[in-house]
Amino acid sequence: MSRFYLYGITRPREMPQRIADQGVFLIDGEGCAAVVSELEDGPVEATRRNLLAHADVVEQLHQEAVVLPARFGYILESREEALELLELPEIQQLLERHEQTCELTLRGKYEESVLAEVGAGLQPLRDAYRAEPSFEVGIALGEAVGERLAERKARDRSLVLDALSPLVLEVVAGEPAGEFAAFDLALLVDRDAVKSIEAELEGLVARLSPPLHFKLVGPLPPYSFVRLAQPAVA
Amino acid sequence: MQRESSAGYITRAPRSSGLADVLEILLDRGLVIDAYVRVSLVGIELLTVDLRVVIASVDTYLRFAEAVNRLDLRQVDDSRSVPDLFEKGGEELAETKTKGAVEGGMDAIKEKIGLGGGSDDDDDEDEDKGRSRSGSRSRSNDR
Repeated sequence: MSRFYLYGITRPREMPQRIADQGVFLIDGEGCAAVVSELEDGPVEATRRNLLAHADVVEQLHQEAVVLPARFGYILESREEALELLELPEIQQLLERHEQTCELTLRGKYEESVLAEVGAGLQPLRDAYRAEPSFEVGIALGEAVGERLAERKARDRSLVLDALSPLVLEVVAGEPAGEFAAFDLALLVDRDAVKSIEAELEGLVARLSPPLHFKLVGPLPPYSFVRLAQPAVA
Repeated sequence: MQRESSAGYITRAPRSSGLADVLEILLDRGLVIDAYVRVSLVGIELLTVDLRVVIASVDTYLRFAEAVNRLDLRQVDDSRSVPDLFEKGGEELAETKTKGAVEGGMDAIKEKIGLGGGSDDDDDEDEDKGRSRSGSRSRSNDR
């Protein structure tokens, strides 16, 4: 019996040649289809190659039409299991919801010079540290700087969200990685709104830089917005 | 694939490019249906845990403190450009340099993989810098 690796769920359609050439095909259901490839026995390895292949398939398909990306590593044990999945009413709801949407990820990161800015009001502690660069004074100064940096992050994050909110349908905030990372946001937007988001960011740059840098990735499939409200019961 | 705009303050990428993006953007996200999920993964622990560098908050604070002073344009007394934190003497300078190099390497790895450790909630962490931690911070699939 065949097992399948599930990339995502889409509408019944022609597969682009480049994807079909990779052994990826559709299992059609009613008004929706599972994007799969055949899988040998054993687990899916989280290698660089496999992760990039998963992203490549769903992102290419998303360029032309709606795709609900599956979580990396989703295995279907049989064709019947694929069909059962496609019959869930939630799948139809999600396909309708995301017909015209895309995800943008927006990350903000400071330059190191932000420390000078947030440390500007800490002159007494800085003088003390310069006079006596001890462990204790260093920790006290560093903690104070860290607190102010956290406030600065929160401020800039709300500023960005406020500016973009008229264009954004939904937001998922991730945990920013790294001490200079200000925010890590997944934004669900209409496909037609991407240009407006870019323009709005240009405006924000003028207000916030230096030292905040943005990284905007997308339009992507709605990776962060396909959680089911109510998990299906076995 | 990527381009910079607004004098370099916006990096724009149309798609997730490279492993760092893919890890940040799609790992742990996407459609899962509890009753049907059969996630079997090998290697995900290695990928996320081993490369996630945990920086003890104490170390972070000390670096903040040094950086704030180094970046202070009004600094008058520049006779101690490298604060002698542990008051050890001559060998300390060499050690500081090595430490810096290792740190740079770690940053490069973090940058590359897109996973920094060092979030500010690690108050109970007092591990040495650069020692990766296994277990509790993994982003593994737990279903």
